[in-house]
Amino acid sequence: MRKKLSTKLWLLMVALLTALVLAACSGGDDEESGDDTSEGDDAGITAWAWDPNFNIAALELAKEHYDKDDFNMEIIENAQDDIVQKLNTGLSSGTMKGMPNIVLIEDQRAQSFLQSYPDAFYPIGDYFNKEDFASYKLVPTSHDGKQYGLPFDTGVTGLFYRTDYLEEAGYTHDDLVDITWSKYVEIAKDVKEKTGQAMLSLDPNDLGILRVMMQTTGTWYTTEDGSIQLEGNEPLKLALENYKELMENDVVKLNSDWSQYLAAFNSGDVASVPAGNWIAPSVEAEESQAGQWRVAPTPRLDMEGAVNASNQGGSSFYVLNIDGKEKAAEFLGGTFGSNVDFYQDLVQEVGALGTYIPASEGDAYQFENEFFNNQQVVHDFSQWMEEIPQVDYGMNTYGIEDILSAEIQQYLDGKSLEDVLSDSQAQAENQFK
Amino acid sequence: MKQIKRVFTYLFLSVAALVSIFPFIWMLISMTNKSVDVTSGRLIPGTHFIENLNKLLDQTQIGIALWNSFLIAVITTVLTLLIGSLAGYGFEIYRSKGKDILFNILILSMMIPFAAIMIPLYRLFGQISADAPLIGLDTLAAAFLPTIITAFFIFFFRQNTKMFAKELVEAGRIDGLGEWGIFFRIYMPTMKTTYAAAAIIAFMNSWNNYLWPLVVLQSPEKQTIPLLISNLGAGYTPDYGVIMTAIVIATLPTALVFFLMQRHFVAGMMGSVKG
Amino acid sequence: MSQTSNPTQQRTFAQKFRKNYIGWLFIILSVLGISLFYFYPMVQALLLSLQSGMGSTLEYVGLDNYVRLFNDPTFITALTNTILYLLIQVPVMIVLALIFSVLLNDPTLKFKGFFRTAIFLPAVTSLVAYAVIFKYLFGNDGLVNDFLLNMNLVSEPLNWLSDPFLAKITIIIAITWRWTGYNMIFYLSALQNVDKSMYEASKIDGASAIQQFFFITIPLLKPIILFTSIVSTIGTLQLFDEVMNITSGGPGNATMTISMYIYNLSFEYTPDFGYAATVSYVILILVVILSFIQFRVAGDRD
Repeated sequence: MRKKLSTKLWLLMVALLTALVLAACSGGDDEESGDDTSEGDDAGITAWAWDPNFNIAALELAKEHYDKDDFNMEIIENAQDDIVQKLNTGLSSGTMKGMPNIVLIEDQRAQSFLQSYPDAFYPIGDYFNKEDFASYKLVPTSHDGKQYGLPFDTGVTGLFYRTDYLEEAGYTHDDLVDITWSKYVEIAKDVKEKTGQAMLSLDPNDLGILRVMMQTTGTWYTTEDGSIQLEGNEPLKLALENYKELMENDVVKLNSDWSQYLAAFNSGDVASVPAGNWIAPSVEAEESQAGQWRVAPTPRLDMEGAVNASNQGGSSFYVLNIDGKEKAAEFLGGTFGSNVDFYQDLVQEVGALGTYIPASEGDAYQFENEFFNNQQVVHDFSQWMEEIPQVDYGMNTYGIEDILSAEIQQYLDGKSLEDVLSDSQAQAENQFK
Repeated sequence: MKQIKRVFTYLFLSVAALVSIFPFIWMLISMTNKSVDVTSGRLIPGTHFIENLNKLLDQTQIGIALWNSFLIAVITTVLTLLIGSLAGYGFEIYRSKGKDILFNILILSMMIPFAAIMIPLYRLFGQISADAPLIGLDTLAAAFLPTIITAFFIFFFRQNTKMFAKELVEAGRIDGLGEWGIFFRIYMPTMKTTYAAAAIIAFMNSWNNYLWPLVVLQSPEKQTIPLLISNLGAGYTPDYGVIMTAIVIATLPTALVFFLMQRHFVAGMMGSVKG
Repeated sequence: MSQTSNPTQQRTFAQKFRKNYIGWLFIILSVLGISLFYFYPMVQALLLSLQSGMGSTLEYVGLDNYVRLFNDPTFITALTNTILYLLIQVPVMIVLALIFSVLLNDPTLKFKGFFRTAIFLPAVTSLVAYAVIFKYLFGNDGLVNDFLLNMNLVSEPLNWLSDPFLAKITIIIAITWRWTGYNMIFYLSALQNVDKSMYEASKIDGASAIQQFFFITIPLLKPIILFTSIVSTIGTLQLFDEVMNITSGGPGNATMTISMYIYNLSFEYTPDFGYAATVSYVILILVVILSFIQFRVAGDRD
């Protein structure tokens, strides 16, 4: 009895292992025969993007506008952070299986991908005319003189504000047009005093507002040759002074994540939202506030050469250097790269504002938005977009910002600005040499 | 005195239960509100549940994701328990110097952050893909294979085996049972609660596993629940009402598994076995 | 010669050999699996830790990465934070979990199923929901501040998420909240295997519940306490989810952990997988040291 039982179990184990091995081997056969068909010429291509209401919808629309026979594209939704992880894992392991043909990458991250994985991306400069795009988009999307990205949406910023709160504090639209950030701080204090409302909502962990301020002068944390410039960076210094003024005068409603940020303006707790144009749908989500919002140009830093236009976010399409790359590049060139009609639909149906300049003459751009007091919001944004100063985001924006944000804590606690910047400079140089 | 202690115990447990359960209740309430109300922290049930549910079913393939997650979790749980308990038992009952050293080496494998081995592991699966696509990249098998054999469960079963009287094994041998017979006919039934605890943990780990399935699964039809939820929050204008609905649906299976398994934790059941 | 002719002696030897050989069969699958899926990648990660560069453009730099660690303030902050979490949070959680499991193991207690499920629920609550809720509860005008203000415990709202000290406390509360019920499960299941008659005997001897806890429950549960301590130590040293989702390491780097730094080095910044692997091996070394101490303290011999 005892012997029988253990023999039986033995057999079971052996059978299990054999099954596993067999499964593995028979799998091998499947693959060999399957390979030929899957890599054939009529195979479809894949694209990765992250927002079903925005960039994925844009891809879907582009697909509709692209009337090439037997063109087949699968659009796969992945969160942006997920795309970054999947792409890094795939590209660094050298395993290209399962990688998409087209991928959307945020402009501020693009250089780190392009430079970290040489040969992983396919230059697509020949598939469209890059002069047709807002000039500020071209630096981040190219590398070594080659154009890798096809510019997609603009992150052109505006100052969304509540007309009722600002009126109550005694300000008209004209008082907000083409102002400086120090004027903005002044207005903020006034609004707080007269209406009791905070002027804006900020997440202390997100220094996006500093970038918006800095870019109005065409400066960044790094220079074009990649060296770190924090110490003695006048625009950054000015931006930080304004930031501190805002933080210390109780005009900021602090938030700690995206949902609280949205809630701050949806529930009427802040008088303004200085942000990229992509925030508009979230502002409009609170229908009861229709007619109470308008958009003014972005405040500029109080410096020679600063303009009232800046950028926050924005992304572009890239083609991976794998089978199907020509097909993918042709698709992008034929839609996002040249189709004015497509851009009209893009504005109307998706609400996405591209960076393709010829498109802004179209009718869709003249639309008067009732939510924003019949302002021609899209038209205004597209005008501001053309003025955005060009900057090279370089490779280390996020790394430097983590160092800076630790130092900014100390700045708010009283450390001198010079020390903050020189300490950050030293740390950043050590880390990103 | 005893009465007071009782009251105090109930009070303590009730407070703990309330603190623990509050976010869950909040999720249930949020599921019935629209996004704007969720973000402003509304604590009153609303009327948008059906709307949220419809949107969820419309925008995502939650049925497929649930099925994938369920399939992976069940296979993982069964195999993890079997393999982990065999090894945990083996290391403790057939203890030898060599095995003790080997055990300590195996434990090392749970000490490195997964992020560090993810890329080499991915490359490994990339290589496997060429020869055995059934367990290669973008298969459900690839998503669970590295998780079914873990030092964690070997360690867990070994520690529990320490508590389990070795006399039982001896008694089994005297009764004339073979070594495998002792394991399957005495050890497994006796260690029911240990298996129940391990099942809860294994199921939960698998159900919530994020990073590895994320990189290894690429086609949308292989998506698991955590990936689906991650996608829902991805856009510039996430709908928190829909997200909360998805989260409640995603949480229920693990909560249910726990509720079914915890009934095995009945005090004193084992008291007699040892005699 | 006479020895071999002794039938009992021979049988024990054969039995011993057979048992030993069967013992290896019990563990062989695990040894192979772990070697393939963990040790093989770990060796590659070790090689990676000797290289540096962006993305796939890596080159060997010897021990440079290990030297770099000591001059890296972010790493030092992350290490300090992680150890702080470990020292405070793990003991609190282990003790709480023990108390819960002992209370919930009382056969006369009513609503056991409810209490157990409730206390375990945080462990299954999706991270996304959990993060949103925690940020809401601990926000400046969140429920926690409302409560403290109403009870007159504080005079103005506390910045739970944006003050460097309080943010660490929030993280500790968050981990404890999430993982206490999880650890409770291990104790609850182990308590079922404890001989009930020991408690009855001690009761007759006049031992109080507290004496029983210290002199019977704890010694009996020692293997499991050791297990949970080591697992929690590993978990805390690899702490990532809570910090990433609740404070993103902020304000500044005040709540940054080593694992989060690894993530940033690999995915958030321009990827430097070599240096990230180096930081990972630091975690490994720390866990090895701490586990060794814990094994020693627990005296893991029968």
